[in-house]
Amino acid sequence: MDKGKKERINNHSIVLKGTPIFTQANFAFVLSLVLFIILLLSSINYTTGTIKPVMFGLALTNGVFTLFQWFITRKIKKDILADGFVKKSTRRFGYIQIIGLLAGNLFVVVFSFQLVKKEPTAEYIFACYMILTQLVMIALSALNVFKPYVTDLFPISMLAMFVLTGIQIAVLIIIARYVDQDRLSRKMLFLLIPLILITLTGNIFAVLIALGLLVKVNKHYNPKTGKWDEIWGIITRNSTAMLGMFFIVLMFSISVVSLFTFDYAMAIENNYSAILQQPTLEYPLGTDNFGRDVYSRMIFGARISLVVGIASTLVPAIIGGILGALAGYYSEKADNIIMRLLDVLYAVPGLLLAIAIIAAFGANTVNLIIALSVGSIPTYARTMRANVLMVSNYEFVDAARALGTGDREIIFRYIVPNSLSPMIVKATLTIGTAVIATSSLSYLGLGVEPHIPEWGNILKVGSTFLETHSYVAIFPGFAIIALVLSFNFLGDALRDALDPKVD
Amino acid sequence: MSHTQTIERDSPQFIKRIQYTYNKMHHRPMYLYALFILGLPVYIFTFIFYLFRKKDDTYAKLKKELEDELHGSEYSRQMLEEFKKQIRDKKAFFNETIDEQEINTLARSWTDEQINQEIAQRVDEQLKILGKEKQTYFRFMYHLLGKPLFVYLTLIPGFLMYGLIYIYSNPFVKYIFDRLLMTVFVIMGVIIFVFTVLYISPFDPAANILGETATKEQIAKFNTIHGLDKSYIFQLFDSIKGIFTFNLGLSFEGNEDVAESIMNRFPITMKLAVISLVMAMIIAIPIGIISATMPNSFLDYSFMFIALIGLSIPNFWQGLIFILMFAIKLQWLPATFNPANALSMIMPIIVLGTALTASVARMTRSSMLEIIHEDYMMTAKSKGLSNRQVLWKHAIRNAMIPIITVIGLLFAGMLGGAAVTEKVFNISGIGSYIVDKQFIPDIPSIMAGVVYVAITISLVNVIIDIMYAFFDPRIRSKMKEY
Repeated sequence: MDKGKKERINNHSIVLKGTPIFTQANFAFVLSLVLFIILLLSSINYTTGTIKPVMFGLALTNGVFTLFQWFITRKIKKDILADGFVKKSTRRFGYIQIIGLLAGNLFVVVFSFQLVKKEPTAEYIFACYMILTQLVMIALSALNVFKPYVTDLFPISMLAMFVLTGIQIAVLIIIARYVDQDRLSRKMLFLLIPLILITLTGNIFAVLIALGLLVKVNKHYNPKTGKWDEIWGIITRNSTAMLGMFFIVLMFSISVVSLFTFDYAMAIENNYSAILQQPTLEYPLGTDNFGRDVYSRMIFGARISLVVGIASTLVPAIIGGILGALAGYYSEKADNIIMRLLDVLYAVPGLLLAIAIIAAFGANTVNLIIALSVGSIPTYARTMRANVLMVSNYEFVDAARALGTGDREIIFRYIVPNSLSPMIVKATLTIGTAVIATSSLSYLGLGVEPHIPEWGNILKVGSTFLETHSYVAIFPGFAIIALVLSFNFLGDALRDALDPKVD
Repeated sequence: MSHTQTIERDSPQFIKRIQYTYNKMHHRPMYLYALFILGLPVYIFTFIFYLFRKKDDTYAKLKKELEDELHGSEYSRQMLEEFKKQIRDKKAFFNETIDEQEINTLARSWTDEQINQEIAQRVDEQLKILGKEKQTYFRFMYHLLGKPLFVYLTLIPGFLMYGLIYIYSNPFVKYIFDRLLMTVFVIMGVIIFVFTVLYISPFDPAANILGETATKEQIAKFNTIHGLDKSYIFQLFDSIKGIFTFNLGLSFEGNEDVAESIMNRFPITMKLAVISLVMAMIIAIPIGIISATMPNSFLDYSFMFIALIGLSIPNFWQGLIFILMFAIKLQWLPATFNPANALSMIMPIIVLGTALTASVARMTRSSMLEIIHEDYMMTAKSKGLSNRQVLWKHAIRNAMIPIITVIGLLFAGMLGGAAVTEKVFNISGIGSYIVDKQFIPDIPSIMAGVVYVAITISLVNVIIDIMYAFFDPRIRSKMKEY
């Protein structure tokens, strides 16, 4: 290859990488391809050598969308290299890809939402994901139709969810037409009413939209919120982060909605007439050795994994944060005492410390949260201390002190808010670890009580039937990985967006 | 103050060194207390001697004279008025209420402070002119330590003190000594913490082991055998002694010697952990370097995606899937661990090392990317080094420092996580031992297991820190600063 050509290609790749829509198109294509291959492989029945017609049809439909996605990606590349922007005619292809929703190909749908809008705002993208979350939630709940019986609230909740979807689509259209990067008129605040209604179903995207709208309305008066747009702009352009956020919000809202659409009895009551069933429409993920529906158990398990994961991150983050802030702000003596005491906790591996604490106080959810929290206090304290040490040397702290502000006010009004971003990033990244630790301890029989549906507990049951009924162990594992991966994706994106200076 | 220059010229080298180090140590209160406790006989002797010698003291005389002269003079009165004016102006500026009483006291304290500073300064100046110095106990001791005769005479009673001074005269030895001392304190803290947690446990081991039918006498006897009837302090002291002498008595259940069963299980866990660690480093560091040298390429994305998945897989699930795939379906490897069969180690090692490999690869990448943008990399390139030379001589060597720290920290996590992996593969290591014992709860066994793991981790981290001190010139120069 001659040098000029090599250089040109190099320049091309730099141009393309600087264009988020192209990387997103590529990302959607790769994931869609992976989905196609997985579906294709699972459509073959290996024992008999035949093909499952429904699966195969689904795989082929996905194949078609994947092919079309490849075509769109090529077209975008051509447009950008020729004109520097994506043509309107290319953007129109996005409307075709939205049909991919019917084939369950979320990746191309998500991408096409971004393709059809020329300059997507963070609120627009959140609204798209909000609707997507709602639709997946309806689909997951609708699987209960095949059960012998449903809860009394099931029909009315399903109806309510359909109505909410309609409202969400209206919100999306309003946002797509009237909300742009600039300041927003105060009249648009009427959107807050439907958004609050949607929030009640646990759909956190609605909260983010509402906050975004509020920031836009008040933009000219408040310099503090100037970074909101910037941060979420970076995150919404990051496909993996949004995918992670989508899964987290989905788990969160399914934990809320499952209160109405799922029957808790299915998940905890023994049914000896249906022991260890293979996956069917009635039991989408089969049943365990007590005849409990694994699918319902997994849906209810999401709640515990999220609650324990988030609580055992928040508790040490707050305690460690306060200790770290005190150590960093006050004299060397206070610093030494606090940090040396925390070194003791730091010397014991978190999981062993948790085992020792649970050994002493018994296995239940509250003790589990305490046990997991104690071990991670020192890491948060160290992060916070390093930040506070850095921030307390800034001029605005000196200025505050010169004006006679008290120590407490300086710490909590000036230093802590300015040293939070590394803590947020660290907390997001460690929720995943906490989720893994929770299920690990449950697997060892040291976590949540065995009858309560929790992913580790389901896995523990499944591990005894690995040879004959491996699906009972495999599916909860996938759920754990997906949740942890989602938090890691989101954490990585937050780190890029907030760009904390301290490691 | 320039104390250091006055070392006696004609004394032997090591005496000078002791005197010099003593002077340096004097500035840290912690060291001062340690010296005082270790050299108590010498201190008592010299203190009596000092009281006799104190009578001739020009310093006190000079100070008294100056105090009489300055306090209450016109000069101090002017200063007082000046301060009062300043305070009043400030209050007026901020629109605060003016309280005469308050202003008076504040101005007076400022004046006193100022005058005292001035006195101290003038006394120092005059002493310098006279060729004498302020007579304090510390100066007295300092001079004595410079005299060979004194040192020889007090060598036996002050042996410990001189030992400490000698250790601290070498920055390397001091660093290692400090670090080890800190580790001992941390380990003591761990023992106290873990013991306290288990002590305040609401469970009754005796009732759990002897069953519900146990009589009061049986429970009392059980408690006496295992020392559970003693007070908290007594039991804690026994535990600390037991940990350091490897004599922890018998476990509650099965009456086995705790230290012995731990010694049997510890090597298995360590062997697995060390092999996993080596495997992780061999795989992860090259991957991290490759990713960093071509950032945002397809290869980089794929590696980092796989690493993130590796970080998100729960150990036990990965173990179960491996058993399902390689032991049950393909029947390549045995499902459970057997020390005699090397093949059975493969799966546990991979499972244990996955998360570590993923973290190290990510860490290597980010550390390398950070270093690539440093100024010295630009310098290296601009002096004409090839890319390969820059990478190997400058980038990788500097990037390794944070990576090794992270490996030390992750090793701790790995020993903790070993409990889960050991349970999955039925390995009789230290982790599964602790888990098995926790249902009773078998206090000595759990405590010994947790504490010995913590000791191992602390020692590994000490070794890493000491290695740094030898290899990293930046840390070395910082060390000499005291």
